[in-house]
Amino acid sequence: MTDADTKKYSLEPPEVARNPHDTYRELRDSAPVTELGGRSQSGAITLSRHEDVMRAFQTPEVFSSDPDAVEIGNTRPLVPLQIDPPHHRKHRKALDPLFAPKQMAKHEPRVRELIRELINKVADQGHCNFHNDIAEPMPSTIFLELLGLPVSRVDEFLALKDGIIRPPARSMEERREKVRATGQKIYAALEEVVDARMAERQDDFLSTILDAEVDGQPLSRDDVVDIGYLFFLAGLDTVSASLECMVAFLAQNPDHRQRLVDEPEMIPHAVEEMLRYESPVASSARITAVDTEVNGCPISAGTRIHLLIGSANTDERSWLDPDNVDFDRESKKHIAFGAGVHRCLGSHLARMELRVALEEWHARVPHYRLADGIELEFSQGIRQIDNLELVW
Amino acid sequence: MRIRVDTELCQGHGRCYMLAPDLFEADDDGYCQPTDERAVPAGLADQARRASMNCPEDAIFLTEET
Repeated sequence: MTDADTKKYSLEPPEVARNPHDTYRELRDSAPVTELGGRSQSGAITLSRHEDVMRAFQTPEVFSSDPDAVEIGNTRPLVPLQIDPPHHRKHRKALDPLFAPKQMAKHEPRVRELIRELINKVADQGHCNFHNDIAEPMPSTIFLELLGLPVSRVDEFLALKDGIIRPPARSMEERREKVRATGQKIYAALEEVVDARMAERQDDFLSTILDAEVDGQPLSRDDVVDIGYLFFLAGLDTVSASLECMVAFLAQNPDHRQRLVDEPEMIPHAVEEMLRYESPVASSARITAVDTEVNGCPISAGTRIHLLIGSANTDERSWLDPDNVDFDRESKKHIAFGAGVHRCLGSHLARMELRVALEEWHARVPHYRLADGIELEFSQGIRQIDNLELVW
Repeated sequence: MRIRVDTELCQGHGRCYMLAPDLFEADDDGYCQPTDERAVPAGLADQARRASMNCPEDAIFLTEET
């Protein structure tokens, strides 16, 4: 890497955030190991080829998930995301059953009931802001109910989550300060609920986790709060953004949309293919634990690394015709949920919610498009679309 | 044809039991079972190839018997 190449590319311009695939390709071809330009990047190295991203995901002893990899307001490691093997496996083992497909199937009727309620509110008016009316309330309500946080405080929790994931800030210092202050509020909210559950269990995840054991010992109050913090950030954001990316794609691609109206049994395949192409969680953070090398580029220990999932999922070295969104595509090998030991714990919940939401939406609102004059604004990192204005 | 899953590599993505439901099912943690090496039953060779081809971790191994 020469100085001239450094910071030549950025994913931050609005037109790139909207359609990142050309930049992804240029990165893979010309700068597969590089420092991106932009405000939020300072010093991080971005990997964009599928092979390199997979190697990083699969070697946590080199590409660590230590808390130093990313600034998200926490003062202790998030569990299990920010602990590396071998300790990781024990915690993961305690949490996997909560999110297993068999468990998620039990929640499907409630998800369907809720999405129908939300769709009923807008179906006859002929237009909506899909982010405000459907994609944000649906997964956040479900998640707060599952976790055991009061749904009546959903607006407060959503603001806290956005205060970490996309804080409005003009400088890195301001950003860091806002994230830190927001993190303290999240700890306080979680500690209040965890203390209440310690006194009296309810039928929710926090209660189940309080009774879980790791190495024959119950989890500590801090452990349960640290699991809750991770769930809070992951559960209140990613499914909303994924549903927005998918509906935005379908609103702009009427043939694909019509296919799902005519053949709703294709929806699970469409979910996988749009997860691949859109990669709503565009990148994942790591930090090098030791000096290493990627594609001949030396990287010293302690370097923040961004694994560009969206680029890996459209790498022509690993995919045939990757920019063609093909619901019949044989290969469903995408890594939209990451890979390796930290593969998304909530992926089976996310898949179920996305499938049910698309089934119910297309049954009720089969023909829709973007409102006239709308230029979609995608946020960085996790690709949320606040101005997803639809008409039908 | 014989099939086996390397349980060290498997991370519970769940593509195999989605795409090859006659060969794999989800256990209570969401990981696939069975994993021990076994013969692929007659008629399920296509499912076996699909499962192997779509595992993001390349954890499913096929051997063709001659």
